[in-house]
Amino acid sequence: MNGQKSAEERMQARAPEMELIREAQAGSRTAFDALVRQYEQQVLRLALHLTGSEHDAEDIYQEAFLKAFRYIGNFRFECSFYTWIYRIVTNLCLDQLRRRKTRREDRAVVLDRSGDEIDLLASVPDGRSFSNPAKELDRKVLGERIQEALTKLTPRERMVFELKHYQGLRLRTIGEMLNTTEETAKNTLFRATKKLRAQLAGLR
Amino acid sequence: MNCEVAHERIVAAAYGELPDEQAHELERHVTGCPECQEDREQLLALKVLASAYPVVEPDANLVARSRLRLEEALDALPPKRWYERLSQRMTNNFASLQAAPVGVCLLLVVGAGMGSLGGYEIAQRHAARAAQAVQVAQAAVTRQEAQAGPAEIANISSIVRQPNSQMVEVRYNQVTPQRIQGSLNDPAIRQLLMLASENSASAGVRDDSVGLLAAECRDGHGCQGAGIRDALMVALRYDKNEGVREKALKGLEPYVGEDVRVRDAVLEALLNDSDARIRTAAINILEPVEADTSVRQVLHSVANTDQNPHIRNVSRQVLSRVPEIQ
Repeated sequence: MNGQKSAEERMQARAPEMELIREAQAGSRTAFDALVRQYEQQVLRLALHLTGSEHDAEDIYQEAFLKAFRYIGNFRFECSFYTWIYRIVTNLCLDQLRRRKTRREDRAVVLDRSGDEIDLLASVPDGRSFSNPAKELDRKVLGERIQEALTKLTPRERMVFELKHYQGLRLRTIGEMLNTTEETAKNTLFRATKKLRAQLAGLR
Repeated sequence: MNCEVAHERIVAAAYGELPDEQAHELERHVTGCPECQEDREQLLALKVLASAYPVVEPDANLVARSRLRLEEALDALPPKRWYERLSQRMTNNFASLQAAPVGVCLLLVVGAGMGSLGGYEIAQRHAARAAQAVQVAQAAVTRQEAQAGPAEIANISSIVRQPNSQMVEVRYNQVTPQRIQGSLNDPAIRQLLMLASENSASAGVRDDSVGLLAAECRDGHGCQGAGIRDALMVALRYDKNEGVREKALKGLEPYVGEDVRVRDAVLEALLNDSDARIRTAAINILEPVEADTSVRQVLHSVANTDQNPHIRNVSRQVLSRVPEIQ
């Protein structure tokens, strides 16, 4: 097992991504595993923030990388592998969001694996509010209000806002990932911010 | 610039997506327009509020869990058949050569070849089966035809009334019960037993036949070529009676190490059989192949999801007994 690990590490250090992809396409499991390691953190971060649930994020991770494994032969290097993977992930996330809409599940808080709430704000360093319990409670309530407002967006609006505001991607990249134009992504972002502002109007 | 356009551009600008010349133009408009200034402030407030739901780094446990689950799923995938790998390599190569039409034609040829090969194999199997059935019928005839019972009418195949008369011709088929005696080594007897294991409506008859066939297998009386193993696997999978399934499982036990199909049939029984005794027996039988990745995969699943706590326990014990093979 140790020998295999160092082979992976060596592979990761030496081989630029294109080599890894070619080897994975030829069937190398080690190469594919190295690709997974390069992208898994980002995939989980996105899925976790979008769904608010560790359990759902794990499911999306699983489906996304299994799909990537299955279809890596179709990757033609016409876009970056990053975009290709994200396209898979965002589509799975969109499916998730749509399923939730039809089930009318309102996730107002973030749940961890055992179903307990995670206090996200506890992990955010902020010198001002920690000494004031009332203010801390305010921030928690605020966080919940934001999440609630986000669920009122359509899945595409939610996705574009997530990718632009929270993940910091360029609109052009977002368009590529969602198989649309930069202009459409921009309009979607505009609609999303308009809706969110209306939702949060009372909270100044 | 009117305010409607300005509002859209304010959003773009707030996210760094406004081209420089448009940004300059926007700035000029906003400076002279209180409504748009308000709009911009609200947008900035939204950005601040949104940070109350920050993006968190997934914790190490989540990453590790996810990765482990993925690795197990990838391990469990069946290895690609040679023609799948070949066609994938061809798709990869030909796509880059822009020779897709050629590739497609070649794939079609290969695919057609595969298809006909598959069809040929199935046809062969059917032919073999039909030949066996004929043999059984012949064997029955050459053996004792003692006490053929009263013939039953199975069905009427045609009725023809002869013209201008009261005469009618009826064609019908009869079922004639037969009897045959012979030793367990007799291939005809074996074939009848195999048919009985699948076809008999009576659980007692199936139980007897499977019991006899299983005993043959356990005693090592050459039970591979004649398809007895297959019959036992079918009984294990499909028979509605748990006694029959249990006998079938016992009969397959000696072959779980050497025959992958037997191993997989036992794994399926472990996952899907409704009877807890059979699932327990399956775990014990799998001992020679405990270290197999697919066996471990199934044991993992059973350890977590089986309804029966004893079975979950035993699975966990087996898993902890054998070190992981990477």
